[in-house]
Amino acid sequence: MSLNNINRALVSHDLVQDLKWDAGLRAAFADNEAAVLDRYDLNPAERTAIEQRDFRALYDMGFHPYLGAQFARILFANNSNGATSAVEHLLASIRQEPTSPAGASETAQP
Amino acid sequence: MAEIALAVAASHAPGLIGMFDQAPEQSQQMVTSAYGTIARQIRAAKLDVIVMVANDHMANNRIREYPDFLVGLALEHRGPAEFFRDWLGCGEYAIPGRPDFAETIFNGLNQRGVRVSATHENLNFDDNVSVPVVKTEIEASGVSIIPILQNVTVPPIPDQNRCYEIGTHLADIIANDLPDGLRVGLFATGGMSHEPGGKRDFWIDEEFDTWFLELLARGDHEKVLAEVTPERLEEAGIGGTGELLSWILVMGAIGERDCTVLGYTAWDKWRCGIGAVSWDMASASVAR
Repeated sequence: MSLNNINRALVSHDLVQDLKWDAGLRAAFADNEAAVLDRYDLNPAERTAIEQRDFRALYDMGFHPYLGAQFARILFANNSNGATSAVEHLLASIRQEPTSPAGASETAQP
Repeated sequence: MAEIALAVAASHAPGLIGMFDQAPEQSQQMVTSAYGTIARQIRAAKLDVIVMVANDHMANNRIREYPDFLVGLALEHRGPAEFFRDWLGCGEYAIPGRPDFAETIFNGLNQRGVRVSATHENLNFDDNVSVPVVKTEIEASGVSIIPILQNVTVPPIPDQNRCYEIGTHLADIIANDLPDGLRVGLFATGGMSHEPGGKRDFWIDEEFDTWFLELLARGDHEKVLAEVTPERLEEAGIGGTGELLSWILVMGAIGERDCTVLGYTAWDKWRCGIGAVSWDMASASVAR
């Protein structure tokens, strides 16, 4: 997951940035996700990965992990006080593991 | 000739505000003590302005057009940005800026061969600036700030040698371009080990963090530059531990000085090793 493999051209990066910068867009996304996704020229694999909350697939396409952590807070509707559960969902996806409520204490050492 | 009257560095993490009360008592005590010391030092130094060398977390630019350094020229710096407010769990703040001095730094760096961007708009601040502002009570101190946001996450990233060199340029600007008698504080905010959004998120490399702090306490900058390589930073956390490059930039600005480690703690739910140091700017540079 080196940062040297980031694909800076991915349109999904723009989606995350716009969602961060525009509370109105974020509300529209929560209300009708498909309609917001329609506004972005995502390739089919990107769109499927977003719809399926598949961060492993997004990362394999070159999605930046830092934006991944921020996107997880939006997709998993957890954006307060450190957003620990959103990170746990993200980790479960990129490690391809079931979500564990005790995820924080079960993290593997490198 | 302006003077660097304070040089400090400290970590930031959203949980230091919103999850503070949930942390183990010894972690809370370390944070209260270390950031409290910095708060007292800021007031005692009678500063005119604090240059905050902070990491940018892709909060201000698209990843396709990403500056390595971004100077905030605004008259007032307000935060946190809306998206980060609940995540941080902190209230809003407004700190006076210094567009005149910020412009001097912006132009001075470009004139010295450092490609720097700048904006008159209010920057989006997340934990990078919000945590040090809140924890060291900068708003109450009344001291103005100039934020310099630094790219440490979008390759190619200026490495430790380049950051140190840019720090020497910043020192030259402070000495020669800013007004005589101005008292400048340098505050590096970032690190320590963490891997935000990566497979090792929640993991903290305590061995690396304590090694890094001991290295700084020893004060041998050549050794720091030889050993704190991009590879070593990545080993300790991809995309996060590299935030310590902001500390190295400040080290370049001040040269070798006695360095006091104000504390260190690691609690996994903060998702980041938390450390702080203060360099002695009252005495002359350490001769080696």
